[in-house]
Amino acid sequence: MASAANSNLNAVRETMDVLLEISRLLNTGLDMESLSICVRLCEQGINPEALSSVIKELRKASESLKASENSTN
Amino acid sequence: SSSITELLGALCDYSLSGVSWKRRALGGVSREGVRRILKRRAYGALLSKLFQDGNKDSLSGSCATTRTPPRNKVLMICFDLRVAGCREEAESLEDELGRLPEGASSGLMEVDTVLELLVLLAGSAPPPATSF
Repeated sequence: MASAANSNLNAVRETMDVLLEISRLLNTGLDMESLSICVRLCEQGINPEALSSVIKELRKASESLKASENSTN
Repeated sequence: SSSITELLGALCDYSLSGVSWKRRALGGVSREGVRRILKRRAYGALLSKLFQDGNKDSLSGSCATTRTPPRNKVLMICFDLRVAGCREEAESLEDELGRLPEGASSGLMEVDTVLELLVLLAGSAPPPATSF
């Protein structure tokens, strides 16, 4: 039982490593932390198109926050 | 196993990393306030896409590109990279795609959905800085 759980954990780790490398090669801007949040959202049934718009929207919002921060310096 | 709301909250928090809160607090903008705005924008994007998807399906049916399996879309990107002269990147991408386990052997339930997301986000980040 424990060894089945361990082998599944290893499979997840290996898959995440490959997904992270593909993500880097595709220049998606996701690191391991954001990728693992996205993976869990996909596993919860969130549509990838909708999730990509959420990520782009959040990036726009945080960029404008950082830009306003720089302009007040 | 977190809920969708918790995970979207985590994504909002993540996108706030790197923002200086000391100066913002002086300007009267709290972290909680910004977090609320980000969550509103995230849910707005999520819901608008869901409604758009519903309209698309009812009006024209799904087009050929949306039916293409994500692994084939990555191979199409590899082809584009080769045409653009980026042979090494194309080969690395093909190698990684070959290493990506399919179905249950990946340990994930939605590995192809994640791959689809990566394809949709391809090139969305600024290019990495080159060092001289």
